[in-house]
Amino acid sequence: MNLSTKSRYGLRALTNLLDQDCCCSIKQISKKEHISSDYLEKIFSKLKKAGLLKVERGACGGYSLSRDPKKITLGEVINALEKPEFICPDFCSCQSKSVWQKIQSGFSHVLNSITLDQLTASKNKSVYLDYAASTPIDPQVLTAMLPYFDFSFCGNTMSLHQMGSAASQVVESCRISFANILKVNPQEIIFTGSATESNNTVLKGIAFANKSKGKHIIISSIEHDCVLNSAKWLETQGFEISQISVDKFGLLNLDELKKTIRPDTILVSIIHGNNEIGTIQDLQSIGQICHDRGVYFHTDASQSFTKTEIDLSKLNVDLLTASSHKIYGPKGAALLYIKTGTNITPLLHGGGHEFGFRSSTVNLPAIVGFTKAAEISIKNFDQENKKLSELRDYLIKNILKTIPESHLNGHPQKRLYNNINISFARVEGESLLLELDFYGIAVSTGSACSSSSLEPSHVLLATGLRPEQAHGSLRFSLGRFTTKSEVDYLLKVLPQVINKFRQISPFKS
Amino acid sequence: MYTQKVLEHFRNPHNFGSMTNPTAVGQVGNLACGDVMKLYLKIDKNQKGEDYIQDIKFETLGCAAAIATSSVVTDLAKNKTLTEALKIKNEDIIKALDDLPAVKIHCSLLAADALTEAIYGFYQKTHQSISPELEKSHQRITVCQTRLNH
Repeated sequence: MNLSTKSRYGLRALTNLLDQDCCCSIKQISKKEHISSDYLEKIFSKLKKAGLLKVERGACGGYSLSRDPKKITLGEVINALEKPEFICPDFCSCQSKSVWQKIQSGFSHVLNSITLDQLTASKNKSVYLDYAASTPIDPQVLTAMLPYFDFSFCGNTMSLHQMGSAASQVVESCRISFANILKVNPQEIIFTGSATESNNTVLKGIAFANKSKGKHIIISSIEHDCVLNSAKWLETQGFEISQISVDKFGLLNLDELKKTIRPDTILVSIIHGNNEIGTIQDLQSIGQICHDRGVYFHTDASQSFTKTEIDLSKLNVDLLTASSHKIYGPKGAALLYIKTGTNITPLLHGGGHEFGFRSSTVNLPAIVGFTKAAEISIKNFDQENKKLSELRDYLIKNILKTIPESHLNGHPQKRLYNNINISFARVEGESLLLELDFYGIAVSTGSACSSSSLEPSHVLLATGLRPEQAHGSLRFSLGRFTTKSEVDYLLKVLPQVINKFRQISPFKS
Repeated sequence: MYTQKVLEHFRNPHNFGSMTNPTAVGQVGNLACGDVMKLYLKIDKNQKGEDYIQDIKFETLGCAAAIATSSVVTDLAKNKTLTEALKIKNEDIIKALDDLPAVKIHCSLLAADALTEAIYGFYQKTHQSISPELEKSHQRITVCQTRLNH
């Protein structure tokens, strides 16, 4: 089906009223859009009848929107001008009728969910450089998920009937897919609701299952808050936590790790690719140390999964966390690899889903999406690794070159291909973040001022940065949809932004 | 999280920059905490012979709220006599910005403190009498600063 000229011209003409933020005459729009005045007159009278436009009298005589553009949907506009329908007349009773009805309702749903405001917002420059926080869903992932919202997959995977077993079969095939990626057995993969949940399960689950052996747990000084705060909570429950330091690049001090492991140590949990500074730890060496001392080793691979090669058949890793929404999958899905024989107690007790490790009705569409997302990322690994590391190095080189008193945080080579973290002297990160946001650029900061705790990033401080250096840090994280021109736009805007705040600052170079 | 007013002052701050030969300067805050505010005052006598703030400028290193509160305090203090300026409280700054998030209230305190410190310094320099109330404020700010700096 096609939109007729009426709808296309109608939408074009309406967006003019948005741009002007005032009323426009037919004549002006006609001239700008090259649409004849007579034709516009016809379209506008229909839109007026539908209550979408109003006539303005006086000096600026013409038309204006009768409602906030945030409250006018494309569906309303198109329905006022024509009635788009899929060919399946009422009397038709063919087998495919339900299909057409579904398409029709899906079509209306999409049109009714997009507003005029959103239509033009996407025209404005918007550069997303916060892929480490979360990623947009890949269109292929969404397409893969949609069938699993259908009636035929509505069953609970624990139910014995057809709907239940259909869902169950899909989950098992997803499990196999992840097992192949990580080179482990399918029954060692547990689906959870988030990386935070996976990490909580590991820390609390290992702690409570192994407390008769010991109550000592080791983490690094650069863990994500979900590991750090789980560990802090365990301290209140009588466990003892040791934090291993990192060097100025964020690499774990392996000698310190060796010295810190004691007979009562039950778990070592070290983040793989750091979420803030991008430093990638050496899983091989850490795993070997833990294995030699008979201590469980867990790694949070939320940022590194599918971005670096992780072959668990060659590594001494007992537990691993990976997340869906960091790799263009839906939010609300993650996994936990638990090596067979690991003594761990579940966080969630209930109906015994996920081999009893995680009771909860399985979120089928999200798991399908997560699986598809991982498959796409693995398939595109070489290509994305090349493209994004080149863009990353280009961005780092140019920022350090064009902005005085800037310095790279994290490791120059051993870092995630999409992570850039830079400190700028004499400026504060939250100001930079907000000013960049005005230019349509989305980034993150390690400044205290952007956190509710008012504490600067513990990760940056752990690498030896002074608090004021941590305050002046920005993280740029690239992704699948980042283009060279977006990076160039940032390179154009950033020096101006830094300069603006350095001028306001009482500290001069 | 921020009001439109805060964002306006943040984007286009009023009266920023340094001042040559200021009559008084007040600096508060601490680098480690991420906020440092410096106010420059040019003080003159008005027609009634009272000391008043003829010109005021600020320099701030800090978050959007720190910049906005600095900007707004210069607006509030400009052309006021010193006695009037000392009456500017952090609540007035918050009100002028249509509100501040709870975690940013300290920025409004910093702005009011910077003004107090500048005026205190001027009274001291010109050997004018300092009210017990102002002396108390100065003590509080200094104690706070020393604690922050250690």
